[in-house]
Amino acid sequence: MTGRSAGTGVPAPRRGAPGRAARHLALLLGGAVFVLWAVATLTFFAIRLIPGDPAQAILGGPGSQASQEALDQVRRDYGLDQPLVVQYLAMLGRLVTGDLGTSYSLKVPVAELLGAQIGGTLLLAMCSLATAWVLALGLSLWSTGRGRVASALGQGIELVAAALPHFWLAAVLIAVFSTGLGWFPPVATGTPAGFVLPVTTLAIPLAGFLAQVMRESLLDAMRQPFVVSARARGESALGIRFRHTIRHAALPGISLSGWALGWLLSGAVVVETIFAMPGLGRTLLQAVTLRDIPVVTGVVLLVALVYVVMTVLTDLVARVADPRLAQEGAR
Amino acid sequence: MRTATPPARRTRAIGLIAVALAGGVLLAGCQAGEAPVSEEPVSGGTLRYASGDAEPSCLDPHVGGNYPQALLASQFLESLVSRDESGEIIPWLAESWEASADGLSWEFTLRDDVEFTDGTPFDAEAVKVNMEHLKDPATQSSTGYLALGKVDRVEVVASDVARFVLTAPDSALLESLSQPWLAIESPAGLARGMEENCQAPIGTGAFVVDGWVKQERVSLVRNDDYVSPPADAAHDGPAYLEAIDWRFVPDAASRYAALQGGQVDVIDNPQPDTIAAADESGAFAWLDAPRPGASNRIELNSSQAPFDDERVREAFIAAAAVDDGIDALYFGTAARSFSALSSVEALAYSEPALFETDLERADALLDEAGWTERDDDGTRMKDGARLVLRFPVSTNQSVPAEQSLFEQVQAAAKEAGFDVQISLLDLSSWYGALFAHEYEIVSAPYTKVGPDVLRILYHSDSITPAPSGYFANLAQVNNPEIDALLASAASTSDPAERAAQYEQAQRLILGGHYLLPLYDQQNSFLLSPKVQGARALPTVSTPSFSDAWLAE
Repeated sequence: MTGRSAGTGVPAPRRGAPGRAARHLALLLGGAVFVLWAVATLTFFAIRLIPGDPAQAILGGPGSQASQEALDQVRRDYGLDQPLVVQYLAMLGRLVTGDLGTSYSLKVPVAELLGAQIGGTLLLAMCSLATAWVLALGLSLWSTGRGRVASALGQGIELVAAALPHFWLAAVLIAVFSTGLGWFPPVATGTPAGFVLPVTTLAIPLAGFLAQVMRESLLDAMRQPFVVSARARGESALGIRFRHTIRHAALPGISLSGWALGWLLSGAVVVETIFAMPGLGRTLLQAVTLRDIPVVTGVVLLVALVYVVMTVLTDLVARVADPRLAQEGAR
Repeated sequence: MRTATPPARRTRAIGLIAVALAGGVLLAGCQAGEAPVSEEPVSGGTLRYASGDAEPSCLDPHVGGNYPQALLASQFLESLVSRDESGEIIPWLAESWEASADGLSWEFTLRDDVEFTDGTPFDAEAVKVNMEHLKDPATQSSTGYLALGKVDRVEVVASDVARFVLTAPDSALLESLSQPWLAIESPAGLARGMEENCQAPIGTGAFVVDGWVKQERVSLVRNDDYVSPPADAAHDGPAYLEAIDWRFVPDAASRYAALQGGQVDVIDNPQPDTIAAADESGAFAWLDAPRPGASNRIELNSSQAPFDDERVREAFIAAAAVDDGIDALYFGTAARSFSALSSVEALAYSEPALFETDLERADALLDEAGWTERDDDGTRMKDGARLVLRFPVSTNQSVPAEQSLFEQVQAAAKEAGFDVQISLLDLSSWYGALFAHEYEIVSAPYTKVGPDVLRILYHSDSITPAPSGYFANLAQVNNPEIDALLASAASTSDPAERAAQYEQAQRLILGGHYLLPLYDQQNSFLLSPKVQGARALPTVSTPSFSDAWLAE
């Protein structure tokens, strides 16, 4: 972050040629397709490294006592008797046409299964992300530029929060707010009250991460000349914070949000299990246990897709929030 | 049936504070739901149940056939016969039954006043259709299919008389038919096809499946026309409860917190420390319902070195001190077993003298068997080989307390010079290790009604793997005398002879040092005090709420 930005903090006019923007978009899309292909390929081969016969997974899970005929039949039906390369190409072919296959254990289309569960998980992740943002902004705005004690306290809180494991935090929150105070139910009920503890569990460690990077850029921004001139104009400390420096603090937070969503989706595995919420995390856990390859692949691809979309979006939002990025692209 | 108890999701720091619970608590296990005499049952209300067992992928227990399915199916499906607390088979959908002299033909007289909840009449034709459904490979039945191994066909003698024709006498037929995996469903329901039937099987039970939101809940509503409780039920007619809200709550701590917060009324699979705390506080009733069939035990693989030498097996059992560990880790909620069978089985035979810890004897036996040298770790050696015992442990089937117990066994056996190598594995990897014979010791639960489970676990036929690789005789017991006793006991029609043969078989199995019994297969429920009249069915110990009500 340099002081090249307009001293008033007002965006400079955009100068990017349309052709460049298109090229940028094409690059992003190409990257996205590559990531999805790589994820599908990795998942396909990695899942075959763990023990467990897919034919058995189809016929009632591990340790089932399926007959030889039934196993043979299933291997033929699902193409499991084909060489691995053929199976791999067949999977890629299906994926290109948007077919995620059928769940081995539940015998329903994977797309249908994921469609039913993604809403809950995304809502959980978005609420957690928003909460984390509010917490992180509040904490970093409060604790920067207020002297050593506030700064040290803020940094301490951030460090501890970022290091909290979800399962532990969830247990503590349940012990305090459910068993102790009785404010919120420990098992999500679909009501807003049931949503509070899962969202808090996911938001607190994330807020720790976000606040750490926000504090850095906030401190950096406070030392900029435009802050000095704003002060010289007689703006209050609060005014400076909200009118000028907050944008700088938000920037790395925005770039991190793409990563954060992916991180939240993995945290959902733990949180959905503890708070008994339906969602993608529990679907994935169950599918891995049952060696339900199509579902595992489907969830992993879906998460990768969300990740890619978020990265593109944060890239665009960052350009709006920080005009310098668009300028650099145009130079 | 092999069971999957919920994954151990939270490791708990279990303090070594030995909760000195009185022996009375151990034995009584608190008869939950035994209401004060003055209290009259109240109609109405929804019972909220939080289950920690895995969510079934199909609600029809004919398909596959595991314990999570049995838990739910017990609420809406019924079997031909049931079992009372003394272990006697009692009438349910069948009023009476009679076997032919040669034991190859059984005639069941059925109740003629029962309808399935879709209006289809319950009759001999329905029984025939159900048994055919179980035997059809397309159903993918595992548990029910095995239980019907000797049933050739079912004939309709009259609308209320069904005849089972067997290929060989089967003394376990009634016990098999009492299991929820062989419950009777509406033929019209089955005809809908597997996908639809899996969503909401149709039975004759006190409740009806109203809806299933995946990963969340199964809604059950009262069957207002209910007429067919088992012979030992507390009342006739429809259930007092209007509905059951059956929620899937995988985390044990969350389940207990929900019970404490009054969000649910009943939870299953509480952890031992939770049971002890709940029981001591008196805030919740503890329903202690051990599963039938086999006890939880450590099996010793006798087919390969070092346990192909009986002296080494005996030495391990003498070295592996488990009593203190069971007391401390289970907080007095689990009683030590000295039998291959669950204590709920009337024919269970115990021999405590075989399982006394005696380190000196273990050392002497190992010296005698030639394991005389020791390496730097203190592990015994013979001809350059170390005395290693591989111990794959399924994290799906062993709760944290049991995993800790196995670590104590590891430490105790080290004293005698065994190097016990525990690997914690998920279910697929665990089966993989067993199929590849990569184990010397292993613990695998097995639930089945009746002592015939001994034939499944210890007859040499069960050494031969199924096409899937599965074999039940994990101890690899291969003894013609045991085989003969188990085969004969399974086909005799004389109860006294059957009992004598099972006792003799158990004497040989225990005496051969093939296993180390630990405790009954734990199966507990915690109930809010307002839940009255609930009980566990004495078949496979699943909870029954057809007599239950919610007190004010």
